[in-house]
Amino acid sequence: MSLRGHHIATTAVVQTARFLVVRFDRILCALPSQGVRGVLTPAEAGTGSQVTAVGITYQDIDLASRLGVTLDPANSDMRVVLYSNGQTNGAMRVEAVIGMIEVEREECRPLPSHFQHEERTWISGTTMCKDELVLILTPEWVLGELGEVVAGATGQRVLSAS
Amino acid sequence: MLRAAQKHDQVSAKRWWNVVVFSVGGKKLAARTEDVGGIAPWIEPLPVPSRTPFVGAMLKRDKDVMPVYDLGGRLSRHPEGDTLLCLVARHVDGPMAICIDGVIPSLHNVDVAQILPSKRLDLETLGSFSEEGQDIEIVALQRLGRNRQDYVGS
Repeated sequence: MSLRGHHIATTAVVQTARFLVVRFDRILCALPSQGVRGVLTPAEAGTGSQVTAVGITYQDIDLASRLGVTLDPANSDMRVVLYSNGQTNGAMRVEAVIGMIEVEREECRPLPSHFQHEERTWISGTTMCKDELVLILTPEWVLGELGEVVAGATGQRVLSAS
Repeated sequence: MLRAAQKHDQVSAKRWWNVVVFSVGGKKLAARTEDVGGIAPWIEPLPVPSRTPFVGAMLKRDKDVMPVYDLGGRLSRHPEGDTLLCLVARHVDGPMAICIDGVIPSLHNVDVAQILPSKRLDLETLGSFSEEGQDIEIVALQRLGRNRQDYVGS
């Protein structure tokens, strides 16, 4: 209350971030939602090396192998996520789509500083989904724009240098 | 009296180290108690794609999210036991989880005079001491992964 007896109103700005959470084996990944262009079934996406939807072509992205995960093609929960940052368009097969989440910015934690190498540009941090830890991936890494890919924690090896 | 007590504490702090003795893959190791944030049951961590040596996973414990340091991998040993344990290291960069054997760690008092410089260069240590004819390295948990020796006598 001010000296004149008027209440001073304050507006709390709550910043939130939205993510599409997808699963690769035990790994839950959060993709910033602004890049999500659609989710298809494997049948809808077809078997080629690219997917065309609404006149836009999305090149296949093998994010699973970069995470050290092998997808089971017989898995009925598998989906193809169409993703774009406006410059690069990619279609990635995921084991399952968990759903869209909206979290407050403070619920997004940076990657611990113990991680000291390129992974800092691959993973921007972590958040929680249904009490499970989720890796927030950077769109540039997801779309293969960083010029490097790596297998998962179990086997560190360079697969290609596109 | 108070000053005398403080002085006595300082002297005893210099003479004795309290250490936690634990094991990884059957190999006994130790850490200063102040470098250990706790011991808890091991939970399956979340793999993280990483190029930082031996840091390739994270786990969530209560409200804390912490990286996992693969000490077993660094020592080329696999933690043993039906129920593995998690040692929380108080690393300078923040708490870090380490998977250790299922054998409950024990507390020991070690005379500083008995701590010798470590011969090994492949692990950050504060020195080693002998117990029952076995050399036990004191792992420098605060600096684990930084590849340097912090010998107590230096």
